[in-house]
This record gives sequence, structure tokens and C-alpha cells, in this order.
Amino acid sequence: MIVRRLLPIAGMLVLAMGVIGCYESPDATFFEAGEYKGANDPLIAKLEDSEFRAELDRRFNHQRDR
Amino acid sequence: MARMKFLCDADRCIECNGCVTACKNANEVPWGVNRRRVVTLNDGQPGEKSVSVACMHCDDAPCAAVCPVDCFYTTPDGIVLHDKDLCIGCGYCFFACPFGAPQFPNATAFGSRGRMDKCTFCAGGPEEPGSSAEFEKYGANLIAEGMLPACAEMCATKALLAGDGDLVADIYRERSMSRDGRGQTWGWSQAYRTGLS
Repeated sequence: MIVRRLLPIAGMLVLAMGVIGCYESPDATFFEAGEYKGANDPLIAKLEDSEFRAELDRRFNHQRDR
Repeated sequence: MARMKFLCDADRCIECNGCVTACKNANEVPWGVNRRRVVTLNDGQPGEKSVSVACMHCDDAPCAAVCPVDCFYTTPDGIVLHDKDLCIGCGYCFFACPFGAPQFPNATAFGSRGRMDKCTFCAGGPEEPGSSAEFEKYGANLIAEGMLPACAEMCATKALLAGDGDLVADIYRERSMSRDGRGQTWGWSQAYRTGLS
């Protein structure tokens, strides 16, 4: 008798828990596709240094046949 | 700004695999990963040609276009690099790349894919240049030291050229013109006497 009374209550509890589990946060993270998301590369700033650039160019020019 | 490119002079490449070894040595590339490979066409036949292939640092890189986590970036010099902290090892870039450049090391003993590894033009990645963190993830940063990539630096015959596309094209043009003037002093036709009865 008690079991028959408790069964619908337990069922309701399970259903309520299930519904709570289906909750989905509406705060989605949007971002532009194709945009780099990683950390900055310090080498990029170094490559803009004209002195370093000239040194690099000299090295590349050494590939010519002597 | 320069557009960094590789060019392999197929007439000079002698398939010594020095570039592959130099790359592996300089970057301590893990087992099973080859950032650079030498491909030989018509192997064993007179006139065979070898070409050293790695990431070509495309202007419109297909790997970057398909990456679901956008971990690729291109330096102002046109070097295509990626952030291994973002990479999920999905392998889309491997499908997209026409050169088979992206490589995936085994992450576990069960063979699951690790984060993508590829040629960095010896320019490291998004870490402090020369730091141990950069070396562990991306290998050597020779560009930051004012040097050529290890493969081009070590090429014995200077078949593999690296640098600004204009410079590399200019060197190749000079070579091609001087070759025409010399009339096969060496080469396949001389070695195998092709065309002689």
C-alpha cells in the first residue's frame, strides 16, 4: 500500500531531476571563425626590427652560388 | 615584407636526406614524425629526380582554413605556424594539406593522436624565442637567431633554398641560365651517356 503511494512521488522526483538535468545555459560563447585564438608570438615583433631583418637577409643571400 | 618560401632544385638534389636528418636533429622531432621528406620520382632509373618536401607555408593555407579551433597564424613574413596549446589533434589539417605536411605523434601507448606537428621554417611558435617551452613544443627557433632553417642551412648541394620568394626565385633563375650555358658538364646525360650509341 505504502509502495503504491510512494511510487508516483518517486516517479515525479525522477522526472523533476531529469528536467533539471536538461537545463542549458543560454550564455553561448560566440567568436569569429578563421581568427587566430592562440597566444601572441614574440618573434613577430622581432622580425620588424630593421637591424635584425638586415642580418637575416644577409644570411639568406649566402645561398647564392659562389 | 618578405614571403618566406622553400624551393628544391631537383637538378641538384642528390637524395642524401641530409635535410631530413638536419631537421630531425635541430628540432628533436619525435619518432614517427617527419617534418621533411625526400620524394624520388622514377627511382633507380636514369633521369630520376628527387624533391625535398615539407610545409610549403602557403599564402592561403588550407590547413588554417579548415582548423576548427583556429590555432594557425601566419607571420608577416608568410611563415605558417600554429599554437599547440589550442590544437586538438583532429587531423582536419592533414586532410586539407596537399603536401601531407601535418604530422601526428602517438600521444599514448594505444596510438591516440597527439597534437599536430609540422615544419615551422625553424621559427618556433607562440612562445618566448629560445625558451625551453618553445623548444619542447615546436623545436628550434633558428630564424630568431638570424639563421636559415636547418634543412636549407645543411643542404650539401644547396639544392634546398629557403627565404623570401623573390630571392629564392632569383637564385634559381641565375642557376638555370648558367646551366644552359654549360651544356651538361655533369648530370645524368654525362654519367649514363644517354643519347650516345
